[in-house]
Formats: sequence, structure tokens, C-alpha cells
Amino acid sequence: METDEANETVAEGSSPEEETAEIDCGPAEEVLKSFPNKRRFLIPILQKIQDAYRFLPPETVEMVMAALRVKRAEVYGVISFYPQFRTEEPGKYILKLCYGTACFVKGAPIIGDKIKEIYHIGPGQTDDKKLFTLQLASCLGNCGAAPMAIIGDDTHGTIDPDKTTELLASYENRED
Amino acid sequence: MSTVVKKQVAVKVDGKDITAPEGTVILDVAKRNNIPVTNLCSHRNLKPFAACRTCMVEVNVNGKKELVYSCTHPIEEGMEIRTNTEETNRYNGACLEMLLVEHPLDCPICDKSGVCPLQDNTEELGIYNNRFEINRRNEPSIKSNPLIEFYLNRCIMCGMCVRVCDEIQGVQALDFHNRGMKVGIGTANDEPLDCEFCGQCITVCPTGALMDMSSEARGLAALFTNNESTCNYCSWGCTVDIQTKKGKATRIEPIDDENVGINNGNLCAKGRFGHHIIHNQDRIQTPLMNVGGSFKEVTWDEAYNAIAERLKAAINRGGPETVAGIASEKSTNEENYLFQKLFRGVLGSNQITNLQHLRAPHVNRFMLGCFQNGMTSKPIQELEEADVVLIFNSDLPSEFPVAGNAIRKAAINFQADIMIANPRNLVFDHESRNETRLTFQHGSDQAVANRLAKILIDNQLVDLDKAKGAVSNFDDYVSSLENYNADFAETATGIDDETFTKAATRLARNADRFFLIGNDVLENEDGEDVLNALLNLGTLLHSGGEGSVNIYPPREHCNSQGVNDMGCAPEYLPGYKCAKDSKALAALAETWGIDALNFDGQDKASDLFENCKNGSINFLYIAGEDPLHSYYKGAQVREALKTTPFLVVQDVFMTQTCEVADVVLPAASWAEKDGTYTNMSRHVQRVKRAILPEGESKPDFDIFCELAEALGSPFQNDSLEDVQREIENVAPIYKGLLPGEECRQWTPESSSEKPKFVIGGEFKKMAAKKEYPLSVIANNHMFHIGSYTRHSKVLNTLAPDCKAGMNPADAKRLEIKTGDKVVVESKNHKFELLVEVTPVAAKGTVHIPKNWTEIPVNMLRNGEEGLTSIKVSKAE
Repeated sequence: METDEANETVAEGSSPEEETAEIDCGPAEEVLKSFPNKRRFLIPILQKIQDAYRFLPPETVEMVMAALRVKRAEVYGVISFYPQFRTEEPGKYILKLCYGTACFVKGAPIIGDKIKEIYHIGPGQTDDKKLFTLQLASCLGNCGAAPMAIIGDDTHGTIDPDKTTELLASYENRED
Repeated sequence: MSTVVKKQVAVKVDGKDITAPEGTVILDVAKRNNIPVTNLCSHRNLKPFAACRTCMVEVNVNGKKELVYSCTHPIEEGMEIRTNTEETNRYNGACLEMLLVEHPLDCPICDKSGVCPLQDNTEELGIYNNRFEINRRNEPSIKSNPLIEFYLNRCIMCGMCVRVCDEIQGVQALDFHNRGMKVGIGTANDEPLDCEFCGQCITVCPTGALMDMSSEARGLAALFTNNESTCNYCSWGCTVDIQTKKGKATRIEPIDDENVGINNGNLCAKGRFGHHIIHNQDRIQTPLMNVGGSFKEVTWDEAYNAIAERLKAAINRGGPETVAGIASEKSTNEENYLFQKLFRGVLGSNQITNLQHLRAPHVNRFMLGCFQNGMTSKPIQELEEADVVLIFNSDLPSEFPVAGNAIRKAAINFQADIMIANPRNLVFDHESRNETRLTFQHGSDQAVANRLAKILIDNQLVDLDKAKGAVSNFDDYVSSLENYNADFAETATGIDDETFTKAATRLARNADRFFLIGNDVLENEDGEDVLNALLNLGTLLHSGGEGSVNIYPPREHCNSQGVNDMGCAPEYLPGYKCAKDSKALAALAETWGIDALNFDGQDKASDLFENCKNGSINFLYIAGEDPLHSYYKGAQVREALKTTPFLVVQDVFMTQTCEVADVVLPAASWAEKDGTYTNMSRHVQRVKRAILPEGESKPDFDIFCELAEALGSPFQNDSLEDVQREIENVAPIYKGLLPGEECRQWTPESSSEKPKFVIGGEFKKMAAKKEYPLSVIANNHMFHIGSYTRHSKVLNTLAPDCKAGMNPADAKRLEIKTGDKVVVESKNHKFELLVEVTPVAAKGTVHIPKNWTEIPVNMLRNGEEGLTSIKVSKAE
């Protein structure tokens, strides 16, 4: 099906982004080149783009729309369906707090409250210093060490509110 | 009917034997046989979805019982289906109870109350006490766009709005957000809705979560009076329901029933939201008379007497041929019939025409040619089952949006071939995998049609012997196409031969083919040649191919067809009888109770404005048209109206033409009168009075009757029913079709003439001139048609400014950006307007909608033939 509406929206959509720092579209172009331009590759393409940018910058979403000829509402429908997709730049570390049944009964909500108290972030939010983005996970498969969390790439088991405070503080000055 | 034949399957529903085509889902089978099955998310126009889970039925195949959702489960041979069993009601009821946990039950203030499937199903399943704890949502309603309010607390997530927007409208402005408990519907990132504003989402929404903000009236359906009428905008002829409350027309909705009208419950932005032209402060309230350069309010009697006096004087001075009338493409059949009766019967003048006929008399010849060649065309409802649709030079989403809905349905159900021949790169999204784009260079329409025909012949894609046997001048036709070889066509049109061959091959298959021709063809000098080329192509396919060819003449306004049917053209009496045929004239004279009708005098109506200009017309009566704005020779009309000694204009709004009139008569709007319109596919449909006329305005019908009386020869038949009977008598093609409640198509009388190709009209490549390198494509805007819609507050909010569409390449060369103001200049005229740079616009052309009176596109052309050449520069 041939349509140029997608191209048209590119022109419209890119204008509000002009104020923010321009992003390098190269990696997104690479991703799009590596897949056939078919609608069924929408999710893998979005995943690869997110791997490259850590989130889905609006410019890259526009590129996906144009390449796959899918409409804006549909792409954002897919993005909002999967919590793994982020439309805003996350903090340096992604803090996955397990909210599975075992962790939940072992006090994960209390840890959640503590994080809120110190960093003022709820699920999906990023703190002012752009250090942590909090995500609640359904189960991270480490129930024996409940309650647990994954910070960046590190797994931390049997945490408690106090330990969490120390633990998170230890990330504040890391150089990695 | 498509040529695809589906096997019939026999099933038993609740003990009743039923057969239905293979692949039909159980729910549709039940619905069509009046067996009620609860459901909330299914719609006959949409694909099965199974969101609401309230349509479970029991099926037994080979003695094995199963519980299935009827909206997605197709029937099988020998299947026994039971609905409303204790078990299914338990399951369906439980799902409904869960929906009612969140639904606000604010029924007394809900638009859908009384026509709400949620209410109906709750009652049907007898859910009087909900077992679950009520947990109502209380989110504020979203009013971020001018027309459609989202009150999502009522949403039950049936997904019908999302699906109709995608499948039927091809827009996909809405989608689901999030998932699970948090799921909702809305636009991408909750941005303000920016779409075609067809309002189909409001129609299908079962619960009042989406509401029409063009109307302030809210509340139970029972508080509104429904008036089934026919839309007064384009010539597609959708059935609408004008809903009135306390004597005011408050809103317009479609009738969501496939058996009513031709639109199957679909409407467009204009039809649905353009109702503010009815109650409007700009309407003319009283008759006006031009006294010394300014208008004075007068009584109807004063106006009639002045008109009658001037008419008699004009006839005494110059004979009946010096009085002329222009009938309206927006008046009803009955009114147009009386108008020509007034001129022919009472005044003895045959100088009567309408603007479309004046501009393009070949459209009627084209239509009659189609009949002569055996293409009488099926009812347009069958477009939904088309196999091949050729959209020829029509901006379908703007011109006939509801046709697009039908074509998309054909695309889903039959994978119809969709061929879009247009110079512009139009946006037309659908679900068919078979699309061919014939994007030709502006002005080369004729070469496109002829090249297709040449390929059909050269590659023997149709049965040439059969065609030769059926059409006498077949050989002449073949030799007339000699020039249209691949190279010639590619140079002329810019389309490569592979694309042409693909299109021709798809056209030639055994198929029900529908040709929809856009009104752009009326604008060009070569319009007649283009129509003839299409007529020949159709005839070739009809005579040599299998299946059917359905070809509809381009018509612009709601009754552009009917005005011609009623004989408002100098060549035709009502029913296309020849105006020179003495037998037909004698019969007409007898019906009208006059001695004789004889129109041997000079035909001045065929070049009416020129004749006005040179002083051979003493009296001109324009009944509801604004030629100053809409006729292609703007300056000629201005001169003509100035020269004509006496001008009467009858209209709803004070148009430019009204302003130069001697007498202005206030006409009632379409919602204030009874009658019929005939749409472009010849369906005769009822127009129903919903409210009383505004101010002192009167229906055209009454005005013509009273004027005849003032002239001293009142019509014998002056009631609508009597006039309709007279029409059926005078124009036998209308026999049995009036008062139009059944929406049936008139069939032409069988022609005595043999089918033949219309040969002639050599293709001339029209090139833009050096000094004026761009050409204009002017047609109706998506949110406007004619100039009435500019009085609609809502449609003006959607499209406040006239914007010229320019191709990015042209814009770049001229250093023009979207939003810039430019000067558009032709040899004849210039004006300033805003620009929108869009890839939809063809390279080398500028697309300017013709609906803004302050942007007179007709003055650019000003009667010049060929392409309208212009130059564009950035405004200072």
C-alpha cells in the first residue's frame, strides 16, 4: 500500500523536538536497515532501537513509522502495552524492584516506600539527578532471596529498607 | 455482488433451519434471522474481534457440545446452535456484570441512553443485582479537540472506535493504551485528535464514551425526534437522521442499518458536523429588493409582483426566449421540476439550464452513452462487494468519503483490486493487497484510459471477437488507439508500461468493476474526451470481458443528477426526452393543460452567460446557485449579471451573486422542506422536513407555486404528492420511485440505438507555459463543499484557512515552507494564501480548494481552456 502520510507526519513531528538536543539517528537507521520493512517486525525493531538509545526517542519512532508504514497511534499503542518500552530517557541505573508474590509478602512495598521517601520516585519515574529509574517487576525468579532487586546489571538479594538505602547510596558515586 | 461465489452452508439455530454463505460467523447468521444474541463489540462492518465476551452460544457438531463465542466462530455444515441456554446466559451475564463494576451508570444524562446495547444486554440477561463491589472510574472527560469528547469512564473497551477508524476509515487515529486493568483508548500519547473527523467512532461507540460536541443537546435518545432525510452536501447521497429537540435541529447522526439508504451507517465530517448551516445568523430572513443600490426588506407579495411584472415586460419586449433560468443542483427534484415547468409551461421559454450542464454538457451525454452501450450500473450499495474499483481522478477522501468506506469493506472482504489514477499522490489506506497507483502527469487523463484499452486489445485480455460482434465500430476504435503505444503513453503520462499492463490485466479479470470518476474532470477542456475514453474503456470491458462494468458519471452536489433528470437543461425535457421531440412536447403540453409547447427559437441557454453579456437575455432567475464564485468563467459571469436588466436570486445565504441581484428571495434550507434528491448513482431518496423554515424563508417549491399564481397561471398540481405523481407520469424512469422512501435506483429505458464507441478527440499534451510554470488542481476541501459549509462554525474550526498544497520539490526550489504566505498569480488574476508543503501534491501542480469565497480560484482560470497555469512566489 502506498501512502505518504507517514512522511508528512515526520515533517510535523520533528518540529517540537528542535528545542531539545538533537539525537544521532545513525543507530536507528542501522537497526531499520537490518530488518525487512514489514509491520510484523515492529517489536524487535523497537527493542533494538531501545538497546541502542536506552529509550525510544520520538525521532526514532517517527523513522519506524515511516519505514514500516504504521500509524502513530498504533506504534504508541504497542509502546504503552509493553512496560519494557520507555519513551523518556531513563536514569543511569534501572532499578528493578521485584514485586512478585514472595518479595511482596517479604516487604517489597516497604522498600518501595523507602525509595520514594529518599529519591521521590514511583514506578516508572526517574529521580532529579537522573541516577535511578524505578521499575516494578512481576517476578525476577529469585524468590529464595526475597525481597530482591536488580540495579543496573547487579542482582541484590535479601534486601531490607536500611540495606537498600546504603546500597543505593553506594551507586551514587560509582564511576562505571 | 462480487463474482466470488461462496458455498452455502446449512445450520440449525435454536431449531430453525438456516443456510448462509461459508465463513459467516454465527452471530451474523443469528442477527440476520432475527435471533437475538447478546453482544457488545461486534458490528457488521468490522472484522470479528471478541473483546466483550458476552456472545457465547452452544454449538453441537457431530454430537459434540462446545461453548464458543459467536462473533468469531464461523458456521460449519450441519452445526446445531443453541442460544440463550442457562449455561451461556450464566457466562455472558458474568462478563457483563464485570463490565458494570466500572461503568458509571449515569444513564439519565447519557447520549446513548435508550439506544444503548449495554442497557439492552443487561436487561436481556436480567442482571438486576450485581454480585461484585462497584468500583466506578471518575476521570475527567477529554475535550482536547473541537468535535469529539472522550468521556472514558463509560468506555467498555469493545475497541469498536479503534477498529472503525482503522478498517473502515483507514485513518487509525485511535488505538489502545496500556493493558490489563489500566487499558484505555485514545490517540498516540494522548495528543489532541487530528483526523478526518468522520465521527464514525461516535456512531459505533455502544456506550456514549465518545460524544458529538458539535451539539450542545445531551441526554436520552427518546428526547430527540428522528427525521430520516438525505444529506445535502455531496452527490453520494447518504441517509441521515436529523435529530430535533424543541423544534431545533440539534445534531445529525447516520442510521446504523445496512438496509437503510446507500451509506450503511457511514457518514463523513461534512454530513455529520455540518448542521450549523440550518440555524444560522447569516441566513437571509426576508425577501429583499435592490432599491438604488441598497437592499430593502419587502413582503413576499411585493417581491412576487415585482418579479411577475418584470417577467411579463421582458417577454412583451423580446419574446419568451429572453427570459432564462438557472436551476439548482441543491434543490429537490420536485422543485427543479416546477422550475422548468414555470419556464417552459408558464413563460414559454426553453432557456433553462444548471451550472454543471452549462459547464459540462458532455456529462449527460456520457451517462446516456453508458446506457446505450449497456452499462446501466448496479446500485451503489454493491460497491462493498466490488472486485475491482477504479478511482479515476477523484480525491476520494474529500470528494466522496463514504465511497471510501465501502471500498475499504470490499478490500477486507474480497481483497478488491484498488486502482487509483490521479495526478496527486492521495492518501487512501485500506487493507487490500492489490493496489495499483496510476499517478499520471496532470492533464494526461485521456492517455491513461486509452493506454489501458490499447493493452486490453493488444494483449487480447478481453474476448475481442465478442466485443467486435457487440459493438459496430470496433475496428474504428482499434485504429483510433493506434498511437497509444508504450513509449507514447509513458511520455504523456509518466507511468511505465509495467504498471499499465498490471492494471489492465487486473481490470480484465472476471470481476464486478466499479469506475468512480472525480469532478476534476469537469474542470478541464478535455473533460469530454476523458469521459469518452473512459466510456470506451468500459464498453470494451463490458462487451468483451466477464463480470460487470459499473460506471457512474461525476456529479458534484446532492442533486446534480436530479436537476438534469428533471429536464433543467435546454436539450432535455424531464426524463431525458429530447426537447425538440414534438411527440414528447405534445404529451407534456397535455399533462400541463396548455395548448402547445414549441421551442423552435434560438438556444441561448447553452451559452447563457455570453448571451446575458451581449444583451439578448432580459431576465435571469438563479434559483440557489452562486455562479460568481463557482463558475469557471468568473469575469464573464460578473459582466453577464451586470448587463442583465433584471436578476432574481433565490438562496439560503447572502452569496456574492445575491449581492448583485435586483430581487433576493430567502429559500428554506434542506432540513426545512420535503422532496427527493437523486444521487450520482441515480438513487431517488427522500428529503424530509425536520423543522419549520427560518424567518420568512420558504421552500423553493412554495416559491415557484406562488410565483406561478402571481403570473396568473397557477399550477394545477401544487401539493408535493400531486407533483410527484406528475413527475412519475411525465418522466417514466421515475415511475414507482417517489416519494423516495425506499431508496431505489432509476433504470434507464431500453435504448433503441446500437452500442458504439465514441471516437474522436485526439489527445493533446497540455504543457504548462514558461512564464507560469505550475498548474492548478482545484477541488473541494475535505471539510467543505460548495460555499455553504463556510457558514458552519464547526467545519470552519476544522479548516479555517484555505491552504495551497505544494510538492516538497517545488517548495524547495521556490524556498517556500509550510505556513508561508504566497502570491498565486495567473494571467488573469492573483491572490495571496497560505501554503502547506505536502508530498500529496503532485510535482508541478498546486492544489487549491475552491470553497473559500475570498480565494476565487475560478478567477485564475477565468474561462481559459487547458490547464490553469500559474506562478507562485513568496508574499512580501
